[in-house]
Amino acid sequence: MTVPHPYALLAEITYRCPLHCPYCSNPVAASLCEVPRRPQGGGYSNGELTVEEWKRVIREAAALGVLQIGFSGGEPLARRDLAELIRAAREAKLYTNLITSGIGLDDDCVRALRDAGLDSIQLSFQSDESSLADEIAGARAHERKLEVAAKLRAAGIPLSLNFVIHRRNIDRLPQIIDLTEALGAERVELANVQFYGWAFWNRAALLPTRKQVDRARDIATAAKARLAGKIDIFYVLPDHYETRPKPCLNGWGQRYLTVNPVGDVLPCPTASSAIPALRLENVRTRDLDWIWQESESFNRFRGTEWMPEPCRSCPQKEIDFGGCRCQAALLTGNAANTDPVCEFSPNRAFVDAVLRNTNSSSDNAGDWTYRSNPSALPVSV
Amino acid sequence: MRATTISDLARPSLAKGVRLQIDSTTGKSVLLYPEGIVELNETAHEILSRCDGRTLGEIVRELAEEYEADSNALAADVRDTLSDLQQRKLIEFK
Repeated sequence: MTVPHPYALLAEITYRCPLHCPYCSNPVAASLCEVPRRPQGGGYSNGELTVEEWKRVIREAAALGVLQIGFSGGEPLARRDLAELIRAAREAKLYTNLITSGIGLDDDCVRALRDAGLDSIQLSFQSDESSLADEIAGARAHERKLEVAAKLRAAGIPLSLNFVIHRRNIDRLPQIIDLTEALGAERVELANVQFYGWAFWNRAALLPTRKQVDRARDIATAAKARLAGKIDIFYVLPDHYETRPKPCLNGWGQRYLTVNPVGDVLPCPTASSAIPALRLENVRTRDLDWIWQESESFNRFRGTEWMPEPCRSCPQKEIDFGGCRCQAALLTGNAANTDPVCEFSPNRAFVDAVLRNTNSSSDNAGDWTYRSNPSALPVSV
Repeated sequence: MRATTISDLARPSLAKGVRLQIDSTTGKSVLLYPEGIVELNETAHEILSRCDGRTLGEIVRELAEEYEADSNALAADVRDTLSDLQQRKLIEFK
């Protein structure tokens, strides 16, 4: 099997975050960040990679063929060396993208990021107005985000907005699209919540009803047509309401890799929590090229050989790649199963049961649990 | 903008946040933008590498000379390519 070149690296440089969004895809047990499991240098008592270690990862990724890097987290601005990392990525000719809540982005910081050569920013919002948005974030954030968006416009940094769409904000979709227009963003991602990490934990409170989803689809389709050539609208489907699974990652170990705060290299950002049996490699002990090409974790679900039925004989297998390994693991207990979203999966009943519960008249969505910060968790050594 | 309505005097340029680059691993020309990449064929690369303030008319004339092609047919191809890229917000006209 020829191993393709990866094109994008997601650099999760910290799991620390000032927000507490209940749909966060970070591992619920992110306490891994605090436990110095591995030898460390540079004085990071929480086990996070040092700036020099990240620079090496960036150079190795570029040599491997990576063209894009997304700095994410947690909140990447929580690390003061972010601008230095962006500069290193630009020197390696990578397209640099910052995925941020915007909290902490003051004038000096915006200037530093621009001077470092940042290509684009994705700014997250929780809804279109403060009361709901702040309730979702578990923090007073919305007004500050509006100020940040204005600063970024003034600095001329290309701006994308990201909204995670769920039961509590999906009915605000028209207003959310209006806000995107008003803020002058070039691009907006309207991403129906996917159930990993905290979102899996909070699924009952987050999954929208079928009625909500149908209405939202129509609104997004109309807005896409109306704003074509002006704002690029990227609508992520609510996969539980689909009959075929998403082509997750464009196939395992094909295009993407993620490095988490402590240097574990993941074929998918949610794999560490969803597939605990996966033996992960770490950039402190192996180079990225070996991990991408040779490691058990990247080869485990690469290609189509690993597939069970009904995927194995399915004409769609090179189109959807059997869906999402993490979702299969979380819902069926086995990451090698067909994604249970697929109508041909023998486990589709798991998804249908969830939908029935959400769409029954007696449904009570209940409260969510806010994401807690790694540093706020008790350290368990 | 529909392809047929693009004026000869329009000056196409890469949209904000879009970079034209040669992928050093594959040698192919690519457009990089937030969360995305487009591999360009030779024609698209030849057009986009001239989107630096030149007018559409100038770009067509240069390409027609370089490839000894019929400039009317070429102009239609260039307009189609640019119109498609503009719809995807990868280029804009000034």
